[in-house]
Amino acid sequence: MAENTLSVPATAAPARRGAGPHAFLRNAGGRLLPWLLPLALLALWQLGASRGWISPQVLPSPHFVWLTLQDLYTSGDLWLNVHASLQRVLVGYAVGSALGLALGAAMGLWRPLEAYLLPTFNALVQIPVLAWLPFVLLLVGIGEPLKYILIAKAALVPVTLNTLQGFRQTPVALLEVARVYGYTRRQQVLEVVLPHALPTLFTGLRLGFTKAWLSLVVVELVASSEGLGYLIVYGRQLFQLDLVMAAVIVVGAIGYAIDKLLDLAETRVSGSQAATRLGVAGAGARV
Amino acid sequence: MTTTPIDRPPAPRRPAAWRAWLGARWRGLVLPAAAILAWWALARLGWVSTPLLVSPGTVLDTAASQIVSGQLWRALSASLARELTGFAIGTVLGLALGALLGLLPLFNRIVGPSFNTFKQISLFAWIPLISVWFGLGDVAKVTFLSLAALVPVVVNTCDGIRNTPATLLEVARVFGYTRWQTLLHVVLPSAAPSIFTGVYLALIYSWLATIGAEYLLVAGHGIGNTLIEGSEHFRMDLVIFGMFVIGLVGWSMNALARALERRLARHRLGAA
Amino acid sequence: MTTILGKELSIRGVGKRYARPGDGDGAQALQVLQDIDLDVPAGRFVSIVGASGCGKSTLLRLILGLDDDYSGQILLDGEPVRGAGLDRGIVFQDHRLFPWLNVERNIAAGLRNAPLSKAEKQELVAEHVALVGLQGFEKSFPHQISGGMAQRVAIARGLVNRPRVLLLDEPLGALDALTRSRLQNELQRIWEKERITMILVTHDVEEAVFLGDRVVVMQPRPGRIRRIVDIDLPHPRNRSDPRFIRLRDDVLGDFLDPDGRIADEERLPPPGALPATVGALPALDRLRMAW
Repeated sequence: MAENTLSVPATAAPARRGAGPHAFLRNAGGRLLPWLLPLALLALWQLGASRGWISPQVLPSPHFVWLTLQDLYTSGDLWLNVHASLQRVLVGYAVGSALGLALGAAMGLWRPLEAYLLPTFNALVQIPVLAWLPFVLLLVGIGEPLKYILIAKAALVPVTLNTLQGFRQTPVALLEVARVYGYTRRQQVLEVVLPHALPTLFTGLRLGFTKAWLSLVVVELVASSEGLGYLIVYGRQLFQLDLVMAAVIVVGAIGYAIDKLLDLAETRVSGSQAATRLGVAGAGARV
Repeated sequence: MTTTPIDRPPAPRRPAAWRAWLGARWRGLVLPAAAILAWWALARLGWVSTPLLVSPGTVLDTAASQIVSGQLWRALSASLARELTGFAIGTVLGLALGALLGLLPLFNRIVGPSFNTFKQISLFAWIPLISVWFGLGDVAKVTFLSLAALVPVVVNTCDGIRNTPATLLEVARVFGYTRWQTLLHVVLPSAAPSIFTGVYLALIYSWLATIGAEYLLVAGHGIGNTLIEGSEHFRMDLVIFGMFVIGLVGWSMNALARALERRLARHRLGAA
Repeated sequence: MTTILGKELSIRGVGKRYARPGDGDGAQALQVLQDIDLDVPAGRFVSIVGASGCGKSTLLRLILGLDDDYSGQILLDGEPVRGAGLDRGIVFQDHRLFPWLNVERNIAAGLRNAPLSKAEKQELVAEHVALVGLQGFEKSFPHQISGGMAQRVAIARGLVNRPRVLLLDEPLGALDALTRSRLQNELQRIWEKERITMILVTHDVEEAVFLGDRVVVMQPRPGRIRRIVDIDLPHPRNRSDPRFIRLRDDVLGDFLDPDGRIADEERLPPPGALPATVGALPALDRLRMAW
């Protein structure tokens, strides 16, 4: 949606424009603004640590954290733990989303099935992943299966719900066109329902990954012996906050990177459909 | 004098309301009913023998004892008290921050990107740091819960404010509304549904965060602690009971928020 | 004898340019309005008609005071127009009612800054609800009423401040033909009653001639006045009156080819070049709109 400010947006540039250097400075300034706050905080942090205002037990200096990061990298510890985490999240996500797609599609295409399954599904959804942990822990112990199962559950929910919605949302108008041209049920599903549902499906897959990654961190915090979450806990227990912060930064970076990737892919998938989708509201005011 | 025609059958009596409800939803109950039955049978028949397989009866007994002894109430009220405190603090701060981000473009440019990055990082990753700064008790938990509630409120408030239709802002201008009047009488009502969504999400998120906080900041009392206790002592009945309670609370919050939303949205059904 | 409550509007030599970004010094500037000279006597109804892109909506915004970046002068009763004011009202094409307020509150929203007591405001609102014929619907919300009714609420809101000039920016464009006809009659009735200065922008030639005492025909690129036609017919107007039909066709002629087809804008015939009746007229239902 277009950005709104409290003043009515001008519909075009004013007749007078700024001369060359002014415009350049304004643009450069504009691009730097987002960095203002983080850089200021970073500077403050470094200052506080080096001046001894804050004890390194409470907050190590950025420089120290950076050194620790480098250490982790060169010693291979970073890769070890990142690898463990990534593996868990990918396996759990793959299982969870595959199940989710199947379940959502099944419920979406056969209403009776939805009537039988959805209420139970909704009830189980009310219980968050963390609340499942002790239960699954008692059943399968503290090893890898625990993580896979919990992450799969985390991914399953949004994928199922979005898939279901995607299959349900086909506009009756389009289905009627298909019927008029004598499409069989199978053709209807493959050539109308499915293509129309793809963007919503993708949203679900993307959401599923976000949830999976989040759950991974939590599960590793509570019950694991390697992985990024484990690093955080380990560092905390030894009061090595530099380790903790380094691990948090890596977690954030990976999550961000994968989210951006999925974002790009999603735009690719839904971009072609966005313009002609039925029911997409036209933007705001008529000029 | 009118006579009732004999060939018309008597009007059917209206079925009891609950029967109508059941008639519509019986299919949803089939699966759970079958599952519980299978579970009970397994426990009874002793085909699988492990101390982990507790019968539904045992769970019910545990439930009863927890309720009667007041343990459930103590644990639940502790959790809820923390959650609502964190929710309240986070919501208030979130409304303020979200309003600032929505109304001041400069502030948005400076703080916005940092906030967006911050909200991407799993909130739970901050717990160890929080535990160093605030300990393992209630203060740490409430801090964490406030953060969990803050995020959706900020996002939805900011979005709601920024999505005020320019057409309506122009109407305010035409009628000579001052900035304050525009804010109060146009921006706020227009953003209200979005803000409400944010608050609703804050309630849910802070509940989810409550459980996690109790796992990781173990000092204290709460329903999450009950679950941990159960798993440490291999008491599956306690675990199942705890899960059920948590699910119930989550469900009722959802239902409450949805009912409120329907109430407030009555005015705006179908509005652009 | 109705007292004329409107103000007189003088537009002198008004021009407006949009610079296109990224080009040299205005070489590619878009001239939206050029040399607009128009006098609107107090209490008159003036219609401005023209195809898309002729700047008619822009002109309204300038009169309203929403934009003060233009050359030339706009005077209201001799005073230059500065910024938005309650003496000028507007009805937009999309009704722009606040969805969270009911009908009477929406009308009252226009009175927020009026220096009146609460009782006076309530009376004004009730009066205007009656004026547009929506008694009984005061408590309804915008999503509960039809498009035509919503537009009537917008008209009531535009009038509630008793503005001296009411601007109407294609107010009936979003409505179906039947509702449009009905509302045109309503507008005529309201104008006869209130006698304020009204300026209507439309692309419907028949609507322009039906409602206006004066029809200003504009043409685009750059937006300028092609000609002004005075409509000397008594109110209320009759659509079947031959004089009305002749005047309508005259104005419509500005938008047609010599063969009677809708003209390509580049090849518009010079003003008044066509006689009032052009040989065999095409079917009447084809000649409603100027495109």
